[in-house]
Amino acid sequence: MRRNQGCNPLEHEMARRRFLTSTVAGAAGIGLVDTHAQADQLKHQQKRILQVFLQGGVSQLESWDPKPGTVHGGPFQAIPTSVPGIHISELLPNIAQRMHLLSIVRSINIKINDHEQGRQFMEKGRRVGQFPYVGAVASKYLATPNSNLPGYVHVSSRGLSDVAGGAAFLGAKHGQLKLEGIKPPGNLSAPAGIDAVADASRDKLRLQFNQRFADRRSKAMTEAYDASYDQAAGLMERRAMFEGTASKKDLERYGTHDFGRYCLLARTLLENGAACVKVTHHGYDSHAENFNFHLEQLGEFDRPFCMLLDDLETRGMLESTLVVIYSEFGRTPKVNVRYGRDHWGTAWSIALGGCGIQPGAVIGSTNETGTEVADREVDASHLFHTYLQAVGLDSTAEHDLPGRSIPIGDPATESIQELLV
Amino acid sequence: MLISLTMIACSAASSVADTPLHKWVDMAVGMGSVGFENVAADDAGDAAFARRLYLDLTGMIPSAEQARRFLADRSTDKRARLIDQLLTSPQYARRMQYEFDTMLMERRPDKHIKSDEWRNYLRQSFAQNKPWDQLVSEMLTADGTDEKTRPAARFLLDREMKTDTMTRDLGRIFLGRDLQCAQCHDHPNIEGYLQRHYHGLAAFLNRSYLFTDPKSKQTSIGEKAEGAVKFTSVFTSESDETAPRLLDLPPIEDPPAAEEPYTVKPDKKVRSVPVYSRRLQLAAAMTDPANVAFRRNIANRLWALMMGRGIVEPLDMWHAENPPLRPALLDLLADTLADHDYDIRYLLRELALTKTYQQSSQYNGDAEDSDAAHFAVSMLKPLSPEQLAWSMMQATSLTETTLKDLKAKHLAAGTEDAEKQIDDPLWQEETLHNALKAHVDTFAGLFGVVGIQTSRFDASADQALFVRNGAALQSWIASGGGQLTSRLNMLQPPDLIDEFYFSVFSRPPAIGEIHFVTQFLEQQPDDRESAIRKLVWAALSSAEFRFNH
Amino acid sequence: MNADIADKNTIDRNLLDVTQSHQVAEFKHEIALTTLRVDPTDRFVAAGAEDPDVQLWELASSERRTLKGHKSWVRSIDFSADGNRMFTACWGGIVNVWDTSQSEPKPLRTIHAHKGAARFVRVSPDGQQLATCGNDLRVKVWNIGDGKIVHEFSGHERHVYGVSFHPDGTHLVSQDLMGGINVWDLQSGKHKQSIDGSVMTGYDKKFAADMGGSRDLQFKADGSQWASAGITKVTNSFAGVQDPIVVLFDWTTGKEIKQIKSDDNNVKGIAWGVRFHPDNFVITAVADRSGKGELWFYRPEEEKAFHTMKLPSAARGLDLLSDNLRVAVAHADGHARIYRMTAKRPADTTTPAKAAPETAK
Repeated sequence: MRRNQGCNPLEHEMARRRFLTSTVAGAAGIGLVDTHAQADQLKHQQKRILQVFLQGGVSQLESWDPKPGTVHGGPFQAIPTSVPGIHISELLPNIAQRMHLLSIVRSINIKINDHEQGRQFMEKGRRVGQFPYVGAVASKYLATPNSNLPGYVHVSSRGLSDVAGGAAFLGAKHGQLKLEGIKPPGNLSAPAGIDAVADASRDKLRLQFNQRFADRRSKAMTEAYDASYDQAAGLMERRAMFEGTASKKDLERYGTHDFGRYCLLARTLLENGAACVKVTHHGYDSHAENFNFHLEQLGEFDRPFCMLLDDLETRGMLESTLVVIYSEFGRTPKVNVRYGRDHWGTAWSIALGGCGIQPGAVIGSTNETGTEVADREVDASHLFHTYLQAVGLDSTAEHDLPGRSIPIGDPATESIQELLV
Repeated sequence: MLISLTMIACSAASSVADTPLHKWVDMAVGMGSVGFENVAADDAGDAAFARRLYLDLTGMIPSAEQARRFLADRSTDKRARLIDQLLTSPQYARRMQYEFDTMLMERRPDKHIKSDEWRNYLRQSFAQNKPWDQLVSEMLTADGTDEKTRPAARFLLDREMKTDTMTRDLGRIFLGRDLQCAQCHDHPNIEGYLQRHYHGLAAFLNRSYLFTDPKSKQTSIGEKAEGAVKFTSVFTSESDETAPRLLDLPPIEDPPAAEEPYTVKPDKKVRSVPVYSRRLQLAAAMTDPANVAFRRNIANRLWALMMGRGIVEPLDMWHAENPPLRPALLDLLADTLADHDYDIRYLLRELALTKTYQQSSQYNGDAEDSDAAHFAVSMLKPLSPEQLAWSMMQATSLTETTLKDLKAKHLAAGTEDAEKQIDDPLWQEETLHNALKAHVDTFAGLFGVVGIQTSRFDASADQALFVRNGAALQSWIASGGGQLTSRLNMLQPPDLIDEFYFSVFSRPPAIGEIHFVTQFLEQQPDDRESAIRKLVWAALSSAEFRFNH
Repeated sequence: MNADIADKNTIDRNLLDVTQSHQVAEFKHEIALTTLRVDPTDRFVAAGAEDPDVQLWELASSERRTLKGHKSWVRSIDFSADGNRMFTACWGGIVNVWDTSQSEPKPLRTIHAHKGAARFVRVSPDGQQLATCGNDLRVKVWNIGDGKIVHEFSGHERHVYGVSFHPDGTHLVSQDLMGGINVWDLQSGKHKQSIDGSVMTGYDKKFAADMGGSRDLQFKADGSQWASAGITKVTNSFAGVQDPIVVLFDWTTGKEIKQIKSDDNNVKGIAWGVRFHPDNFVITAVADRSGKGELWFYRPEEEKAFHTMKLPSAARGLDLLSDNLRVAVAHADGHARIYRMTAKRPADTTTPAKAAPETAK
């Protein structure tokens, strides 16, 4: 593989210039408020990201990189897909029919076998340090300015701790709003005794206080504060969005189990202007009974996900929505004594498609028995660049933070160019 | 103006003793120069000053009674007296505990040292006004084996003795420099952040490790007698090796190798102790007068604490291309602080006495927004989670009613010194703190940021939802919670409005405000108590309450 | 006669002494075994493994044949009463029929039995039919002679793990992932009864997934009871933490009679095999999550096992030889081992598989 130098002199010079520009702005201006330059560029395009996180580490051998009949191949077969030449596991029959909408990266080596570290790397594109998650970056640079929805929403049945909602230095506004399944966020209902009229009247009063306070004062911070109340009000108004409004027909297509409902909620959130929706499907950490559990879990995942993919496509949203199916790592080729597969960051796969992604492609490969990457090795930092460039962001630029010089993606790596449209 | 600054800088160094620091500071900021005075804001006024000072030095707004008493005071030195009074209050030590805990540990979860013990250590340190260099020395020297000094070891131990984490945070928190990107190569975009700076700092610590006693399971810091720091640039592939060194100061070479390099030899079961410890060189090197970055960093941070932004901002991004807005001012603060034995209380007192601190946060005339950066107008400072929690509890009188109950309970328990104790400010502070701590933790969880702290303000929807609809605030506003609502309910305008403004905003209402609130109450005649609750809620959720102004 | 329905008279009670059970033979494969069956004439031990082949050893000579024909792991094996026909079911949904007398057996017949895995195969007592079940939620009965389907039963809502003929040949019992047990009437071709076996399933809350199913299903020779092996009390099934269990059911009432569980609660894993011994005890083969195994010997009327035998490697299949003195166990370390439930005789030495010619894999 071509070694990317990352910091070649030209790039250095450009980064320096970008940096200088932002410092000057920082020194001259108030210096503490986002300028959203990049968001302004993009707002009319309204691109967004759908992440489906298969928590625990889906087995690449039971999904995107099957090796039937080989020593570690497991009991399942590979099936042909809508793209001639691409085979995936029989456990994903619905996705197989839609393979022409997706692509696979089969050559990921993150050199990490730890859930938390793997997840952090996959989200941040950096091995160490406090950097924002993909979703927080999307919220900052892709969110439509007038959207009352938080930019980054995570639907999950149970907690994974995401420090500051994955926002790091981008700030709480871009941290994920974590929804516990389809349960509405906390504190979404006005307190007892305060009906809509009373709520409106007390809020009007709040704004009157604010108006008086704003007189001859810096607006930057007070406006951000006001905006959080608008977002809160927006969420309260859309309470119904979180409550079982799914139609009977939708439930028939997506299924009535949790993940089907999460996918339906994801559709609603994406349609309502969220910049990044992450849906977590738990239960892939199969140290025992890997095969029965993958049957169960992927059986639950395959259809609802495809319904969502279909809906994004038929509603014309797929070309502006990057779809990523990922985990924190894959699973060991070697089957253990419990019919389990263990943690494996050395040679595994993800799938992605939609906005900016070449459809029907397979990037890289593993060796015959799946124990090593054979070709086009990449890690989470390459994927991070790729996701952002797919939605039109310059991942080699620096974050829009006055006074700080922080490259968005890891400057030592680059995107998977051949995967981008 | 540049010329005058230079002059100040030169003269300041020699004659700070004659003129109080706060006067030099105002001059260094620009007071007295025509250009500056033209845009500078007016004095904040006594009410705004008192609220600001209470928030900055005690961590919560004054009670209505405290605010009224200060306004009623006719003496000319009342601001200075209030500063002195608050700086010696038990609340000051608590406020500094919160601030420095957040600065030093960045809201990390507990790992090896209980945060209660660590916070208590910080609070005691500030109560006795421990010099900053001493406090830092203690933190960088304690190895966790001595119960007495163990809490101080939290800075290192709870970073799990991971060299990268410790190195980065030493740079950021004590030197004002985020050297992370210089770990693998000289910083690509920042001249002067060199790989050897990072690795020189790392070399103090890379021989140290987290030791867990196999029997007691207690953790402490062990150290090896060998281990060099080599580094290779991922860009240029150039390699180098470094002994411990602080930025561009000379490296601290190891003494000639002893025949027996260990006092306690490495073994799985014991904590190894070398004859020569690189780690123990760190405290002295860090606080050495030659290490200018150390004093500049703390001066900049204390300035930011009072003024709302650093002279270098972000606080941990000092480099050639992000220079101090007023280099001479920062040197003045740093050098004077060092000359005063790193007396934090002294510096905060002087800063509070400046006109710069006492300016209004309202512009004069048509001054530009950007002038705030030049310290011509007071900046809005978002309340920390702790300030917000305590201030809301103070405004709703939850603090007052809770303390009253606690006093009664203590008397009823019949302890010998109870009557004397309940009037002791320290007893009151600690008892009240323990009683309301859970609320403060809730706010810290929701409004606090885990990880790198910034001066930037952000507000998220879930925070606003918490204020709008959360149970805690609702119960404080309800008449059964804090006493504010019931107290107001017994009053009529204009007394009601006066009491309301003093309780929540620490000031009397303006004429226009009396009209506007009266009007609101008249529009809601059917249920006055609910109208008052709305009023209190709206005020607590207003920008005027959210920011220290 | 099928080994399952062994004649009580054949036991030499003078020899039987479970507490002195010991290994007498060992057959080695290179890959972890998944299941095992001994033919009713005690000539063959056949095993599936984590590869698509079937290993067929001659008990007497240790000679091994490797049978190729499946494309996926073999999950279940049965033999005709004379041992000349072998039936194998694999994860690919295929059931193959083999002639064990051939030197290099090829499938005589291939039945595309199920969409998704075929998890179990059993020969009818009259030797004419096969019962299979699988991931397509179906239980099916096949005519061995022409490979045609005789019955197709639907009603299970989750993967069907095990199926067995009642010894009188008139009914089938099948059990699914959720412990749902169905009794099917072969004369009417209809569903007869639903029985609750939900003790043998568990929902892992953390991972939001179900685990369970019958890993072995066996009737008592007289048809009065059946036993099902599997798991219960799921704690953390993704790490293999749940309790192995065997449940005995009464044929007439359909009610649970007894649960057989670990005595000391130290074993966490799966019960992969169960056999009724004619001397009125039940043998259970267990895989512990550590990779070790155990054989439990229980009398139905007693609370505790009267003997527990530690095994060097996790058990994944169990069968009883027709002499009723020996059991065969499939192990996760790739070995099939024969254990004799008697005191050691001077002649009893472990026969390594060294004599077996290596068949090309």
